[in-house]
Amino acid sequence: MKMAFLLLSISALLYGQPKVVALPGKSPIVTFRIVFRTGAAADPSGKEGVAALTASMLASGGTKSMTYQQILDTFYPMAAHVSDNTDKEMISFTASTHADNLDAFYRIFRAMLIEPGWRMEDFERNRDDQSNFLATTLRGNNDEELGKEALYNEIYLNRPYGHHNAGTVGALKALTLADVQSFYAKNFTQVNLIIGIAGGYPANFLDRVKKDFEKLPKGKASRDKLPPPSSIIATEVKLIEKKTGSVAISLGYPIDVRRGSPDFPALLLAASYLGQHRSSGGHLYGRMREARGLNYGDYAYIEYFPQGMFRFEPQPNLARQQQIFQIWIRPVEPKNAHFALRLALFELNKLIAEGIPEEEFERTKSFVDKYSSLLMKTKSAELGYAIDSAVYGIPRYDEYVRNSIAKLTRDDVTNAIRKHFHTNRLRIAIVGQDSQSLRNRLVGEEPSPITYNSPKPQELLDEDKVVASWRIGVKEDQVTIVPVEKVFE
Amino acid sequence: MRNLLVVFLAAAAFLHAAGEPKKVFPFAYDQHDFPNGLRLVTIPTDTPNIVSLFIVVQVGSRNEVEPGKTGFAHLFEHMMFRGTKLFPPAKYEAIMKQAGAATNAYTSDDMTVYHATFAKPDLEQILTMEADRFMHLEYNESAIRTESLAVLGEYNKNSASPERKLYESLYDTAFDKHTYKHTTMGFLKDVQDMPNQYEYSKQFFDRYYKPEYTTVIIAGDVSPERTRDMVARQFGAWKHGTFQPSIPDEPPQTGPRQANVVWPSQTLPWVAIGFKAPAYSDSEKDSAALDLITALAFAENAELYQRLVVKEQTVDRLSADYSDHANPNLFIALARVKRESNVNSVRESILATLNGFKDTLVSADRLDAVKKHLRYSFALRLDDPEKVAGVAARYVALKRTPETIDKRYELYSQITPEDVRAAARKYLIENGRSIITLSSGAAK
Repeated sequence: MKMAFLLLSISALLYGQPKVVALPGKSPIVTFRIVFRTGAAADPSGKEGVAALTASMLASGGTKSMTYQQILDTFYPMAAHVSDNTDKEMISFTASTHADNLDAFYRIFRAMLIEPGWRMEDFERNRDDQSNFLATTLRGNNDEELGKEALYNEIYLNRPYGHHNAGTVGALKALTLADVQSFYAKNFTQVNLIIGIAGGYPANFLDRVKKDFEKLPKGKASRDKLPPPSSIIATEVKLIEKKTGSVAISLGYPIDVRRGSPDFPALLLAASYLGQHRSSGGHLYGRMREARGLNYGDYAYIEYFPQGMFRFEPQPNLARQQQIFQIWIRPVEPKNAHFALRLALFELNKLIAEGIPEEEFERTKSFVDKYSSLLMKTKSAELGYAIDSAVYGIPRYDEYVRNSIAKLTRDDVTNAIRKHFHTNRLRIAIVGQDSQSLRNRLVGEEPSPITYNSPKPQELLDEDKVVASWRIGVKEDQVTIVPVEKVFE
Repeated sequence: MRNLLVVFLAAAAFLHAAGEPKKVFPFAYDQHDFPNGLRLVTIPTDTPNIVSLFIVVQVGSRNEVEPGKTGFAHLFEHMMFRGTKLFPPAKYEAIMKQAGAATNAYTSDDMTVYHATFAKPDLEQILTMEADRFMHLEYNESAIRTESLAVLGEYNKNSASPERKLYESLYDTAFDKHTYKHTTMGFLKDVQDMPNQYEYSKQFFDRYYKPEYTTVIIAGDVSPERTRDMVARQFGAWKHGTFQPSIPDEPPQTGPRQANVVWPSQTLPWVAIGFKAPAYSDSEKDSAALDLITALAFAENAELYQRLVVKEQTVDRLSADYSDHANPNLFIALARVKRESNVNSVRESILATLNGFKDTLVSADRLDAVKKHLRYSFALRLDDPEKVAGVAARYVALKRTPETIDKRYELYSQITPEDVRAAARKYLIENGRSIITLSSGAAK
C-alpha cells in the first residue's frame, strides 16, 4: 500500500502533476510535511539568509487574518506547533496534531503557508533570531557545529552552497521585508511544492489540502543543475581562532555521489563501518575514543547531517544535488589535536588500502540493512524519507538500501572507496585557541607523539609511532587563520 | 488485553470522553516483580517487528554523596560498555551491529538509563548480553583510565555551551548540602581525578547495579508472557543487594542568593532565576501546581513571553524548567537577553510575573488551556516504541511504575486557581531564590 502511494508520487514528480506523498494510517495523530524545493542555494547574491527568513516568517509569524500571538493562543491548547527547516534545496514545514483538532489546526496551518501576514514586527523578531543564531549560538556556543558548517562554507566557496543556511550576519542586516516577499512569490510555488501527510486523517481530507495549495502561483521550474564545487588541488586548512578549552576538527571534500547514484550504497557501508553516527560500533570511535580516550566520539558521513550533537538519527528533507564526505572529530585536548587529525587520516588511509575487513563486512551490511528500517519508526520520519525518495527518484528508502547492498561484494565496496575517498586534497576546519602554534606544527609536519595515563598494548604503541609522524601534506600558503568573529559575517 | 486497535482508540478518545477514566498513558502495559527484586514493565504497541528496551537504574548524580566523587554515576554509565568475560566490548559491539540496533545510555540526577531499539527477533540475544553485563561487568584499571578521558572529552565538548555553565553555577549556588549541588557531569577537578578511582568504581557497581534498583522496560511488538519468560531466564540469577544511600537533606534556605558568571567568548547575556521547589509527587498538589505555573507564565502564548519575545523583543529565549526529581529541586526561569542593558529589566519582569501568581488568581479558562496542552503534548509524544519506553523510563526512575503517569495527570486535572496561588505563595519566595547572570567578558 505504502509502495503504491510512493510510486504515484514519483510519477507525479516526473510529470508535473500535484505532488503528494500520503501515508494514511489509523494513528490518532496526523503528521504534515509540506516541502518546497527551494532553499538557501536560491538566496540571491547579497541576500544570503532570505530563504530561511522567509520560512521562519511563515512558521513563526502571523497570517493575513491572525497575528502571531493569536495563532499561538489558538494552537496552545492543542499542543500544536509548526516547525520550519531551511536547507540548500529544500524548505520543510512540519507539524503534528491530534485528529481531534485536525480541522481547527489545519485552517491556520494552511493560512500560515499560503496567506502570510508579512508584519514588520514578525520580520524584525525573526531576523534578530536568525542573526543571533549565527553570531551567538553557532559562533559563541557550539564549537563543533561551527567547525562543521565552516567546512561546508570552505568547500563550496563562491558556489550556491557557499554560505550557511541562515545566511550571513552582514546580509541579514540589509534584508528588507520586500526581499522576503519577493523570495516567497518566486519560490513558494506549485511546481516547487510537495505535500506530505500521514496518519489518521479522513478520506476526503487530502483533496481539500491539494485544492487549498492550488492557490499558490504555478511558478516556473527553476531547478538548475548546480555548478560543481571548485576542485581541491592541495589540502587546505582553516583555523578558527576562538577562546575555548578544546579543539574541534572537521574535514572532508565533495563527492559526486548521492542517494540513487551507483556508488551510494557502497559508500553508505563504508561510512557506516568507518564512523556510524553516534554509534560505539564505528571504527574511528573504536580506535580514537575506546582504545585511546582521545575524545567523546569520531564519525564519518556521506550526507549532510546538521545538529549531530543533539540528534541520533538524521533529519529527513535535506535532499541535495551535491554532498561531501566528512569526518567529524569531537573536541580533543589541545595537546592531542595534531595527533587526532593524523590518526583519523591514518585510519581513512587504511580503509582505502584494505577495504572493510572481511569479518566486518557482512556485519556492517546487516547493520545498515536493519538500521535503515529503524530510521522510519515514527510516522513523521517515514513521511520525510518517502518525500526524499521521491525527490531522489529511488524506491522506499529501507527497500532501496536493503536491495542495493544485498548485491554488493567486498570488492565492489573497496572499489567504490578507492574511487571516491582519498587522504590528500582535503579541506580541514579546526576551532580552537593558539592557532598560530598549530599552524606551525602542521606546516612543519612536526612529530606529534602521544602519552597515556595507563599501559597500552605494544601493537597500539607501535601504531602511534607511525601516526605521530604521518604526513598530512599541508603547505604554508594553504593554512589560514581567521578570528571567530569573522566566520559567517 | 493487548488489542492494539483498542489501545489507539483509547488514545484518540481520552479527551472527549467526559466522565470516562482519562488515561494519558493509553497502553495496556504489564508490570511484573521477580523474586530478586527486579521489575519488568512490558508495553505492547502497534509497531510491527520493532522492540525498544530501556533498562532504568535508580542511581544518578544524586547518589554521589562522597566528596571528590561527583560525576561518578555518569562515568559508570560509560564503564558499563567495557565488557564482561563472556561478551568483551568487541563482541558486544559486533552483536549489536549485526542486529542493526540503535543503542545508547544517559545519566541524570536521579537515574541511569541504558537503551536499545532493534528488530523483534534479536530481543533474546540482546537481553542475554544486557543481563550479563549487569551481573558480571568486568574491566581492569587501564579501562577506567582510558574511559575517564572520554568523559573528560564529553565535559570539554559541553563546556562550549554557556547554558551548561549557567546551570552548573545555579545549582552550586542554590544548594549547600544536598547532592543536587553538582551537575551530573560533576566538578571538573573530580572528572580529572576519575582515572584514579578504579577501586571506588567497583564499589559503586556493587552498591547500585542490583535488581532492586533496576527496572527493565520493553516496549513494541512484544507480549508480556514472552518477555517475562525471557527476563526470568536471563536475569533470574541476579542477587539482591543491601546498600542504602544516605543522601543529605538540604537545610532550609534563609535568604536570596546570587552569582555572576563571566563567559570567555562572545555570547548574549543570560539570566537564570531558581526557586527551591518540591520533589515530584503524584499525590501532593504543590509540584503539579508549580508545573502548571511554568506553562502559565512562560509558554509561547503567555503574557510575559508575548511581551518580552514577541512585542518588545528584548529576549530571544524564554523558558522555565521544573523537571521531575526524586528530592526537592529547583523551579527555574531562564532568559537570553538581546542587550546587556536590558538584563535588569528582564529579571524584574520575570520576578513581577511570578509574584503576580501570589496575588491574582489565574483565570479558569487559561488554566484549562494549559491542562489541555499538557495532555495533548503528552499524546503527541507517544508515536514510536522508543519514545513510549523513554517516557515510561523517566517516570519509572521516580516511582518505579508507569502508573504514576496517570496519577500525575489526574492530579493536574484537579488543580484549581487557588492551588496555583497557594503553591506560588509557598515556593516562589525570596528566601528560596537564587539568581545567576552570565555575560561575555569580551563585551565589557
